[in-house]
Amino acid sequence: MSKYLDLDIRKIHELLVEKKITPLDLVDEALERIEDAKELNAFITINDKVREEASTLGEVDPNNLFFGIPIAIKDNIVTKGLRTTCASHILDNFIPIYDATVVEKIKDKKMLIIGKTNMDEFAMGSTSETSYFGAPLNPLDKTKVTGGSSGGSAAAVAGKLVPLALGSDTGGSIRNPSNYTGIVGLKPTYGRVSRYGLVAYGSSLDQIGPMTRTVYENASLLNILVGEDEKDLTSVNKTKEDFTRLIGEDIKGLRIALPKYFISDIVTKEVKDRVMEVVSYLKEQGALIDIIDMSYLDTAVTIYQVITMAEASSNLARFDGVRYGYRTEDANSVDIMYAKTRSEGFGNEVKKRIMIGSYILSGENAKTYYDKALMIRDDITKEFNRVFKDYDLIIGPVATRVAPLLDTFNDDPHKAFMDDVLVIPVNMAGLPAMSIPIGTNSKGLPIGLHIIGKAFDEAMIYKLASNIEEVF
Amino acid sequence: MDKLSREEVLHVAHLARISLTDEEIEKYRRDLKVLMDDIDKIKEVKDFDSEMMYTPINDNTRLREDVVGEMLSAKDVGVNAPKKNGSFIEVPVMINE
Repeated sequence: MSKYLDLDIRKIHELLVEKKITPLDLVDEALERIEDAKELNAFITINDKVREEASTLGEVDPNNLFFGIPIAIKDNIVTKGLRTTCASHILDNFIPIYDATVVEKIKDKKMLIIGKTNMDEFAMGSTSETSYFGAPLNPLDKTKVTGGSSGGSAAAVAGKLVPLALGSDTGGSIRNPSNYTGIVGLKPTYGRVSRYGLVAYGSSLDQIGPMTRTVYENASLLNILVGEDEKDLTSVNKTKEDFTRLIGEDIKGLRIALPKYFISDIVTKEVKDRVMEVVSYLKEQGALIDIIDMSYLDTAVTIYQVITMAEASSNLARFDGVRYGYRTEDANSVDIMYAKTRSEGFGNEVKKRIMIGSYILSGENAKTYYDKALMIRDDITKEFNRVFKDYDLIIGPVATRVAPLLDTFNDDPHKAFMDDVLVIPVNMAGLPAMSIPIGTNSKGLPIGLHIIGKAFDEAMIYKLASNIEEVF
Repeated sequence: MDKLSREEVLHVAHLARISLTDEEIEKYRRDLKVLMDDIDKIKEVKDFDSEMMYTPINDNTRLREDVVGEMLSAKDVGVNAPKKNGSFIEVPVMINE
């Protein structure tokens, strides 16, 4: 098997420009790798037109870094003519009739969509085990979870099946699997990337982002994903910038905060030790690091549960068996059709969350739960802003421990949320944040560092991440 | 361990338009109670601001200009409908004489 896909994309680009290889070579290599690694269950659907699409690029001169490079897309981002299931039975025959804005951008650059990746059903979970299609496996240890909900994208990149993937992050769904599989995953600032065509879960939190092998590839991919979009009025108009511009710069004088909560007893010793090693290294490099107090971080999981379950119950009301997706065979009235379709079409985790969400939004409960959650959300955001007056970045671990065994959470409806305790606060405030690998534990399981930036300051995250990447 | 009553489970299932088997009702009596206890923790938070944050976007009142844009064809829109009759989407009878 050829090894072109293991090269840095700048090197692959060079080979394409020199016509030493073709996009079809890359696609064939990716398809072969996916076939060989089938047991990882990283993909739900392979794009059966991708060889044809690659062939048409054979005679064209590459005009950008991503030309002809294979990419995997999380299966909650719609792709015209290519099945998009959200890892749910209710959409297992759904063929979108339009492209998400990010998919249009990827196609404009002539990247090749190799397939749609496995995930937690409707992105609800932190291990990808709620997928209707079965859980993806962690390429570094197949008895462990990939994390979630973008677990298939993480497995595809970490398993070296493709160099790049897209994920989505509502409460850690890019960072958590990136952490467990040892890759670079960034959740951009809310509003940075258009959500048009991303099947909504918690609309005020959802954000699409890049999952890659290196910091440079991550920043380069973000360059092409961003921008205001008339089709998503929560996307924000910002001056065009190059997210790679601070990569490799000196970090002397960089002011970094490490909240006490992030290194409290909820974090395992092996993870904490590794993070503190990075802290020592960064201090040696001249960064100024303070351990600080931050309020409200411990309330974030509760707030997250209220907001996402409420928003999900509203967003998922559209799956009613009328216009698209699965419909029950057995209904003689519309009301029965709705209830049976949703009962048969949704999995257990989704049903639980939309039932609680409907309860949260019903009558007076909306005030007790949802309105109050939005108020505390404002406090969390103000608390981040307060810290960012004195600091450029906030760091900590991504998760409290390394990737757990498959089937650990099956019978605990509560624990799946606690897995994301350290990453959820970021989504409340809409901030950008990354998981970057900082080594492994004694059993070879990856540990990541969580780097949180000011709103729209992704470039600063990449600056610190590139410095860490060189050493760890 | 505390559980919800059957009626409570059936109430939230109805709100979410989900039908449940007896077995599922039993399971959710426990599982939903765990989640309800989780969200009830919000009642313990005493010291908080009074401003509601619906979205991290500062300017959330922006609207598109009211002009005709690109549209999907009726044929395309119907392509995923589970049951069709010509160009119509078919559903069970809604009004009984």
